[in-house]
Amino acid sequence: MKNPYEVLGVPSTATAAEIQSAYRKLAKKLHPDLNPGDKAAEEKFKEVAGAYDLLGDADKRKRFDAGEIDASGAERPPRQNYYRDYAGAQAEHPYADASGYADFMDSDDIFADLLRRSQRGRANRRGEDMHYRLEIGFADSIAGATRRITLPDGGTLDVKIPPGLVSGQTIRLKGKGAPGFGTGGPGDALIEVEVLPDPRFARDGDDITIELPVSLSEAVLGGRVRVPTATGAVTMAVPKGSNTGTTLRLKGKGAPKRGGGFGDQFVKLKVVLPNKPDPELEAFVAGWEKGKSFNPREEG
Amino acid sequence: MAMTREEFLKSSGLKVQVLELWIEQEWLVPERTPSGLRFREIDVARARLIGELQSGIGANEAGIDVILHLMDQLHGMRRALAELRREMGKADV
Repeated sequence: MKNPYEVLGVPSTATAAEIQSAYRKLAKKLHPDLNPGDKAAEEKFKEVAGAYDLLGDADKRKRFDAGEIDASGAERPPRQNYYRDYAGAQAEHPYADASGYADFMDSDDIFADLLRRSQRGRANRRGEDMHYRLEIGFADSIAGATRRITLPDGGTLDVKIPPGLVSGQTIRLKGKGAPGFGTGGPGDALIEVEVLPDPRFARDGDDITIELPVSLSEAVLGGRVRVPTATGAVTMAVPKGSNTGTTLRLKGKGAPKRGGGFGDQFVKLKVVLPNKPDPELEAFVAGWEKGKSFNPREEG
Repeated sequence: MAMTREEFLKSSGLKVQVLELWIEQEWLVPERTPSGLRFREIDVARARLIGELQSGIGANEAGIDVILHLMDQLHGMRRALAELRREMGKADV
C-alpha cells in the first residue's frame, strides 16, 4: 500500500484544506465517471479516494500519523458500479442525450444515416404499447360490457367493451402501456378483442342474421314463435304460407350503429319435418294430389 | 429490479428532502407509474455520482447541472460511436 501522502502528493505537514484541495484536483482528473473511456481510471481513483478517506478525516489521520493504523485500513471495499457502467450500456435509459451529435444527423451521408438509426427512439422515448387479447361472448359484443384483465405484473386493467364491437377490433387505453423514458410519457394498452362465435348468430355489418327452424304447420298456417336475439328472446309472427328461406326482419334488433340507432335482425326460416316418421303425415301427403305434381327443382 | 421510493432512499442513503430536490432539478428522472415512482440501478449510481461531485469534488449546483448535461451527452456520443462501430462491422465497410 502506498503512502497516502504520496498518493495525494502533499507533504505530511499539509493542512486539512491543502489535503482537500489536493484530493479535489485529483478526483476531477481521475473520477471514473469523468473518464468514461479510461479503464485504468477506476484503479487510480480508488487509490486516491482511499488516501483521502484516511487523511481527510482528522481522527483517522492522527491515528495513521501515530502509527496506530496503516494505509491498508484505507482500502475501500471494491465498489460495484459507477454511473458510466449504466449510462454506457446499450440498454435504454432515461438520461440518454443525443444533443452532442444531433447536428451530425442532419446530413445525408452514410454516417448520418447510421447515427440516425442508432439514435432513433432513444432519449425521451415514449413507452412501449402493450398488447393484450380478450375474448368475449357474442351477446356482450352487441350490448357492450366491462371486463377486467390481469396484467403480467399483477396489476389489473378495466376494459370497457363498446356496444356493437366487431371481432378483431382493438381497444386503445391511452397511457396504460409501459412507462416512457424522460418526458416521453407512457405508451398505450392495445386490447384486441375476439368475439367468440355463437352458433346461432351471424353478424353482417350492423345486421344480425339467424336461421330459425319452424315446423311444417307453423310455416303453412302461420303462428307466433320465440326468436333469440342478442339482447334476449322476443316473440315474432310467422306469416301464413312461409317457406324455407323466407326471411323476416326484426327491426332494431341488430347491432348498434356508429352514428346512432340499431341494425336489424334477419330471421331466415327453415322448415323442419318431425324427426320420426309420422303415419298421420304420411297418410295426408299420400292423399295430397297437388303436392305430388309440385316439382321444386323445376322453374315456376 | 425496479425500486420504490422507500427502497431507493435506503439503497442510496439519500434524505427525503434531498431526493425531492434532485427530482425537481431533473438530476434524477425516475419512472412515474400509477403506483408511484420507480427507480432503477442507474438512478442509484447517478445519485452516488451526484453526491461525489457535490461533497468530493466540491461542485456547486450550477456545476453539477452542467457536468450531468455534458456527461450524458458524452455517453450519448459513446453509444453512437459504439453503434457506428457495430453497424460498420456488420456492413463490413
